[in-house]
Amino acid sequence: MARKVAIVGAGQTPCKGRWVEKTYWGLAQMAVAAAIKDAGISVKEVEGVIYGIYNDIFELSAIPEHALHGIIGMANKPGMRVTCGGATGAYAMLTAYTWVASGLYDIVMCLGVEKATDAFDFDSQTSTPEVIKTIAWSGDTFFEREIGWTASDSYAEVVLAYMDMYPGDLSDEVSAKISELLCQQAQNNPYAQRRGEIVTADMAMKSRYIVYPFKLLETCVYTEGAGAIIFAEEEKAKAICRNMATPPVWITGIGAANEHHVAGIQGNHKTMHRILSDHIAARAAYQMAGITNPLKEITVIELHDAYIKQLQITMAEMGFVPLGRADDLVKEGLMLPGGPILVNPSGGLTYAGHYVGGSNMMSCWSARRELITRGLDRALVHSTGSTIAQYACILILERG
Amino acid sequence: MPEKVIPLHMIPDKGSEILIINGKQYLQTNTAMFTFYKRSKGELSPYFLGLKEKKIYGAKCTNCGIIRVPPFMERCPDCEFAAMELMEMPDRGKLLHTPPITYFAHSLFQDMAPFGRGRVLLGESITALPILLYTTKGVLRPGIFKRDTPVKVIFRDERVGAPTDIFAVPMSELSEEQIGKNGLQESELDWTNPQEPQVKETAEGHKALDKALIGLSKLSDGVKTSARAQHDLAGWRRVIRVNTSGGSFGIMIEDGRLEISAGENYSPDFIIVCEDPGLFTEWVEYRESLTNAIISAKLWISKNSEFKTIFKLDRVPRSLKRT
Repeated sequence: MARKVAIVGAGQTPCKGRWVEKTYWGLAQMAVAAAIKDAGISVKEVEGVIYGIYNDIFELSAIPEHALHGIIGMANKPGMRVTCGGATGAYAMLTAYTWVASGLYDIVMCLGVEKATDAFDFDSQTSTPEVIKTIAWSGDTFFEREIGWTASDSYAEVVLAYMDMYPGDLSDEVSAKISELLCQQAQNNPYAQRRGEIVTADMAMKSRYIVYPFKLLETCVYTEGAGAIIFAEEEKAKAICRNMATPPVWITGIGAANEHHVAGIQGNHKTMHRILSDHIAARAAYQMAGITNPLKEITVIELHDAYIKQLQITMAEMGFVPLGRADDLVKEGLMLPGGPILVNPSGGLTYAGHYVGGSNMMSCWSARRELITRGLDRALVHSTGSTIAQYACILILERG
Repeated sequence: MPEKVIPLHMIPDKGSEILIINGKQYLQTNTAMFTFYKRSKGELSPYFLGLKEKKIYGAKCTNCGIIRVPPFMERCPDCEFAAMELMEMPDRGKLLHTPPITYFAHSLFQDMAPFGRGRVLLGESITALPILLYTTKGVLRPGIFKRDTPVKVIFRDERVGAPTDIFAVPMSELSEEQIGKNGLQESELDWTNPQEPQVKETAEGHKALDKALIGLSKLSDGVKTSARAQHDLAGWRRVIRVNTSGGSFGIMIEDGRLEISAGENYSPDFIIVCEDPGLFTEWVEYRESLTNAIISAKLWISKNSEFKTIFKLDRVPRSLKRT
């Protein structure tokens, strides 16, 4: 029987397009110090750490976590790195959860950190093409990398296949409206990368294509930052939260699924017009949490919006709207102010930031904040990653 | 000199610099994370060797009979790892879905953009072959390739046993003879470059250009006081001639500066043709992007490889809005 596990602390660095002032070591220390302070405990009470770091190349190290272990106060304790593409952060939290739920440890920290824009293309004198190239080492290196695979074009494939299947859905007007909404919501996130920026639906509509059908202002940003989440078993969680006069936030559901990386029309190969990883992961998480109607039973969603149109498909795959009617999120007002669900109050990865290995920790930090400050009951934290939206990991959070 | 695995122009000089942020100094150093390989293609070798011989191989499960292309594994996991046998596939097929088009490519593909990367179902295969997509008719725009578009695989003239040895074009751009020929090569296609569009000057065009030049001049002045906009154009140098129905003008990018000049008395690195000068009035106000104007055929550029300059220019109005 798994033990109950709660989140008892969370810390976050500001998300920035470039942190010249910090290495990933310094960012890690900032996030851990903030999480420890938030939980009101000593780092000495933490028994182990799970690291979420996506890409060795961004950190210039094949085992980048080795240098973090001592400087975050975890010397002589267990530490393990998780790397699962864009889903790294959520999979790292899944692992931290299992360390506690299994009874192996009582208090475990999950630390996500990533640099990105140290990568620099000296030819164009900008960072972005080199950042995209660095991520492009993540795809199929035998058949696809040499023909220009990128994260964007692989997710664009899925979105276009969905649009082939449902030609009336995912209108540019709705995607642009969601972009505007997320920009507004990011203004309430003190750590958001694009705080102070105003993006209207019209601006999003007219922004340039980067990879058809994705436009600049409907795509997540590149970010450097770190986030830490502290997990504890039931009795210690209650004691910590009593001390801090903060309710525990229980992990009541977890689901994950990775699809085939090869697209096809039969068998277990990737069905391109679906994100089955999201669907299967959500179904497993709902079953574990006892959720039968997500639209009525979940109020806060922090969704990995690598691209706005993918956000819409993911919402459909998770059961908030039917497949083919993802535009209802706006047309029926489901995620608009006053609607039944609050989607990406952080601003999401499009406006708050996407430091890949830890941006799901930022999402988790935000979901917990919303549950506590607004007195809401239940939240969902979602992640997606790898080529053609292959990976998904979902957590259900409940305020105690 | 033989071609290098890393293009020499991409390799930076050794060096470092000091950045000052909030009065504090920070050091950054030019470096790289690199490893060289003699990478074996192992069990995938027959497929890549086949490309050199203008053959496309798939693999058929000896138990369930399912065919997969490319032959990415030797055993079928759905049949308790029964052996799969290589078989030659046809070079014609249909696209699995509408493919994306990359306009903003990563650093190794900057000169290739825009390009499409799609997946084609060949013969009875249940998996789709990832492949580059080209049109022989100019800039690749949405609508040329869609789900089920019939395509033919074309072989490069020089093949090295790599995924880039092949690409696909719409069969609608080929003759019956070309469609029927096995092993059709790129040099057998009609790649006639679209000619530079000729624009007739009009009184209305002159009026619109006068207005656009006022906006462009303000944009140029704005760059002089915007660190963000200067950053967009840092280290870049280009001279561009723009032909419109109001006459020609020039855009000069010079390491963080943007200058506009009327007339056409200079040697451009590339040419832009845009019948309606009003597009530039919209552009400087961040209501239109040059990228999207190219995609929607409102604007023509003489060199596709200059998309990277277009992207830099497109950043400027947004940066000025954010300054």
